[in-house]
Amino acid sequence: MNYFPDEVIEHVFNFVTSHKDRNSISLVCKSWFKIERYSRQNVFIGNCYSISPERLLGRFPCFKSLTLKGKPHFADFNLVPHGWGGFVQPWIEALARSRVGLEELRLKRMVVTDESLELLSRSFVNFKSLVLVSCEGFSTDGLASIASNCRYLQDLDLQENEIDDHRGQWLSCFPETSTTLVTLNFACLEGETNLVALERLVARSPNLRSLKLNRAVPLDALARLMVCAPQIVELGVGSYEDEQDSESCLKLQAAIKKCTSLRSLSGFLEAAPHCLSAFNPVCHNLTSLNLSYAAEIHGSHLIWLIEHCKKLQRLWILDSIGDKGLEVVASTCKELQELRVFPTDLHGGGNTAVTEDGLVAISAGCPKLHSILYFCQQMTNAALITVAKNCPNFIRFRLCILEPHKPDHVTSQPLDEGFGAIVQACKNLKRLSVSGLLTDQVFLYIGMFATRLEMLSIAFAGDTDKGMLYVLNGCKKMRKLEIRDSPFGDTALLADVNKYGAMRSLWMSSCEVTLGGCKRLAQKAPWLNVEIINENDNNRMEENGYEGRQKVDKLYLYRTVVGTRVDAPPFVWIL
Amino acid sequence: MEKGGLELEITELRLGLPGTEKVMKKRGFTEMIMTSSGSNSDHQCESGVVSSGGDVEKVNESPAAKSQVVGWPPVCSYRRKNSCKEVSTTKLVGLGYVKVSMDGVPYLRKMDLASSHGYDDLALALDKLFGFHGIGVALKDGDNCEYVTIYEDKDGDWMLAGDVPWGMFIESCKRLRIMKRSDATGFGLQPRGVDE
Repeated sequence: MNYFPDEVIEHVFNFVTSHKDRNSISLVCKSWFKIERYSRQNVFIGNCYSISPERLLGRFPCFKSLTLKGKPHFADFNLVPHGWGGFVQPWIEALARSRVGLEELRLKRMVVTDESLELLSRSFVNFKSLVLVSCEGFSTDGLASIASNCRYLQDLDLQENEIDDHRGQWLSCFPETSTTLVTLNFACLEGETNLVALERLVARSPNLRSLKLNRAVPLDALARLMVCAPQIVELGVGSYEDEQDSESCLKLQAAIKKCTSLRSLSGFLEAAPHCLSAFNPVCHNLTSLNLSYAAEIHGSHLIWLIEHCKKLQRLWILDSIGDKGLEVVASTCKELQELRVFPTDLHGGGNTAVTEDGLVAISAGCPKLHSILYFCQQMTNAALITVAKNCPNFIRFRLCILEPHKPDHVTSQPLDEGFGAIVQACKNLKRLSVSGLLTDQVFLYIGMFATRLEMLSIAFAGDTDKGMLYVLNGCKKMRKLEIRDSPFGDTALLADVNKYGAMRSLWMSSCEVTLGGCKRLAQKAPWLNVEIINENDNNRMEENGYEGRQKVDKLYLYRTVVGTRVDAPPFVWIL
Repeated sequence: MEKGGLELEITELRLGLPGTEKVMKKRGFTEMIMTSSGSNSDHQCESGVVSSGGDVEKVNESPAAKSQVVGWPPVCSYRRKNSCKEVSTTKLVGLGYVKVSMDGVPYLRKMDLASSHGYDDLALALDKLFGFHGIGVALKDGDNCEYVTIYEDKDGDWMLAGDVPWGMFIESCKRLRIMKRSDATGFGLQPRGVDE
């Protein structure tokens, strides 16, 4: 390879797109490092505090696409207080000052302001794609800037963000000359939409593949939109609970019949079952179906629908489907790869919940299943052992038994053996969430068998520090470890601090780690940021004479090359 | 570690009231409820459950205590907000949450009646919900504005909001509707004083 000119090598590198592979390439030799550096198009930064924008630009001066992630995963469950961090503003400012020709920005769990969006929209002439997932801090005014100023915008994809909806006219801000939209997803907006502007926008966007509407788009408007966009591939619909309008339903059905490319359906917040029938013509083509917000769609309507979706690869559903419904899925959806079953009742005690039987049925019926998220009331070791035998191909296995510490409901034993069977059988397991009654034993199994595990979520599990040590010592590929309400303490935390250098981050909340332990860790490992998040007693922590033994409420540590961050709020103490 | 004994204890006591546990080596679930700080999510559904009196299925369980565990079950906050609903309307009674529809607005909203302290409060909350000033007036001064606020009570009858005492109202109100005055006349509202 060294005898080829740089252009040839660069051309070969262009075929290598995975971040991990490109990182490996850059380690081969100096010349490859240099070529790879200048040709890297897509940069992925899993923790925005691990590096600074200046260092990023220094290493990769020519990238076009940036992915940034901010808050730790447990922020999704309100465990990270408001104001913790993850601000995108400094990044956009730095990129705007440089000459990088940014075309795509993908953010997850970051704080985005209208100011940031305005700056973004004005700074990059060729900006094409904005994807915001679980972000917060901005309003529809910021969206208006993006719509107005990004002349070549292709993707505006807003997933599960907290957006202050000013009920303004942001959709009208797309100029009449804007015809390049491919993705438009505003499902998470709460307020009304300018329907006329929306229809005109969709009508003049022939490349539109993905359209996800919010709850305020009524049935008749949806029918008109589908007439304008028969080429649609992914559709997210609004909320049609009280729709008595059967004429609109018929019009919609007629329009949907022409959408022969439609493969993905989502939305359906509070949708009345009869509206679902409008989509009957396209069921047999669907590969992705998300009904996980549609509490009103269950029973026979749901079963009928599933029975006709033979090509489903991805299904997100509520547990109201029941074990019987899952059996229908198992016998119909032979192409199923990913299943998520969410709880209808978040406060426990639902009659229509699914059990271990549903999980076993799915594992037996769906040979291609590799990712599962399953909320349920009860589980048994026997069921998990059967699931492991049926499905050794799991890459992601997340089981959430709603009641913490719940044992095998038949034998009253911990669920160690069941999860042990899963990790032993599934050699490619990369992500695991465990729940139910679990002792240190399950972690022994995980450390022994889950050699490829990259992300592990633990809650209300384990007995002693040994549990955490088994995992840290055994899972060499661990990148993200998040633990809550488990009795792991300083011994486990401090056993081998170098391990954390190979990981992205560690989260421990309501465990047994002490302030003294965290301080020792920070001393031993200056290349880590060790953050203590303590909303209540942050001042008391310093003054108290027994501070060494004081338990830390929330610990978040991560490797970084840029030291302590400067934007931490008062309740975050970086050791 | 006496595995068998410990587990049975956990099975029996894990949902008991705080203070009835033996000291467990690990931080027990109920112990955590006791020590759980005030950093609850401010999601309406959790406060709604705490204020409810209904839906206790087992004598030993305390569903209100369960819901105070921050971040459990691990369902992301976006999903919580959009799933905080009951499948059947009967469950809404006593829970504070009612569906509110307004003529001319294509989507339903939900609000927690328990978070209002009286009709005046309700009027303000409704105004805020729909971004429309004037619903409040409808409640206070029946004859002078474009909209009337009516509610469906436990018996399925539609009544004009504002007649019965507040406490009685929130107990019996199943859903709310803000209707154009012109449509209301033919609607079949129960006449005032029908309960007397």
